[in-house]
Amino acid sequence: MRAAKRGRVVHELSVCQALLSQVGEIARAQGAAAVEQITIELGPLCGTEPRLLWNAFSAMRCGVAANAELRIEHCPVRIQCLQCEARTETRPNRLVCGRCGGWRTRVIAGDELRLLKVEMRMPLASSQNAVAASSEEQCNYV
Amino acid sequence: MCKTCGCALPAATDQNRAMHSVGPFRAINVIQDILAVNDRTAAHNRTHFDEHGVLAINVMSSPGAGKTALLEATILALKSRLRIAVIEGDLETENDANRIRACGVPAIQITTGTACHLDASLVHQALHDMPLDGIDLLFIENVGNLVCPAGFDLGQHLNVTLLSVTEGDDKPAKYPVIFRASDLVVLSKTDLLAVLEDFDPTRAATCLRNLGLETPMIHTAARRVPSIGAWIDWLMAALEHRRAPRSAVFNGVTAHQDA
Repeated sequence: MRAAKRGRVVHELSVCQALLSQVGEIARAQGAAAVEQITIELGPLCGTEPRLLWNAFSAMRCGVAANAELRIEHCPVRIQCLQCEARTETRPNRLVCGRCGGWRTRVIAGDELRLLKVEMRMPLASSQNAVAASSEEQCNYV
Repeated sequence: MCKTCGCALPAATDQNRAMHSVGPFRAINVIQDILAVNDRTAAHNRTHFDEHGVLAINVMSSPGAGKTALLEATILALKSRLRIAVIEGDLETENDANRIRACGVPAIQITTGTACHLDASLVHQALHDMPLDGIDLLFIENVGNLVCPAGFDLGQHLNVTLLSVTEGDDKPAKYPVIFRASDLVVLSKTDLLAVLEDFDPTRAATCLRNLGLETPMIHTAARRVPSIGAWIDWLMAALEHRRAPRSAVFNGVTAHQDA
């Protein structure tokens, strides 16, 4: 795990590290006991491979997010033609207008790499101290 | 990891979920770029560059496309007119930085170990060893890789991607993310076109167009008899644009917006 802890072997590990760190900040700010589910949106043009990110997440999740599940919403690639203004869905390496064939287009969706939602369990009032102690356990990313 | 319930398993089980799911449920909606921290560090680097009047160019390509050779030829052509420095990114060795130093300009080597790309914090560390005051033009030679470097802003003003004619001419179709991020595509080693029948520059240009890009593509040859005139012209125009940044458009391409 030495390499994985450095977080950069494939860039999905760097992305996962950044994701876990953001989620950890949110969970701490909310005083959460445990993060249950993390939802992100990912487009094919963001440069991150969803399968590899998911694998990285399985290996790296820790601390307050040790049992969290990662839900990835896949965004299609959508472009708008700057000539005929049609909005069409397309594939990542063919960003030409689906209606007029023009290549002057603008990507309007498909390059997202964003955290959307964090679902968590809050502590019971009686167990607040115990939770505070457990969330301070050693974790490299969160 | 939880030390009491042994929940550090590949998948959360119903049992450990139940043990943790004791308190009330809460969902927080956020819309937050996952690489926001890197982007903030990159913006910080860009501020450093701007304060010192440095034009920073991120040079990317697959391994062996001729990034260092192009920089060597560029330094020899421009070092009497411009103060140039280079940050080198490689997995191991100081070899590339030594090649740059042999040309008479400062170079800092970042050895990334197993890492496949530079990120903004690695560049920021390197900047602490680089006196930006005496520099007009800073090249950041990224780790040779057409995948990973594309997603990480380093604080550069412009991205340049090399495509050597010893590779496939359909690389822009295979690696759309990195070519979409490029402000210029440099077709390198074009002196070999005469003996390489497979590479068709027109096909490479078509692949770029199919990405909806107006990105200019220029030809260079950095070895034997260097032919890098179009590249030098592009660099000088980019420097000119940095010094008079009133126009938002450079070379038909919108320059990287300052944060």
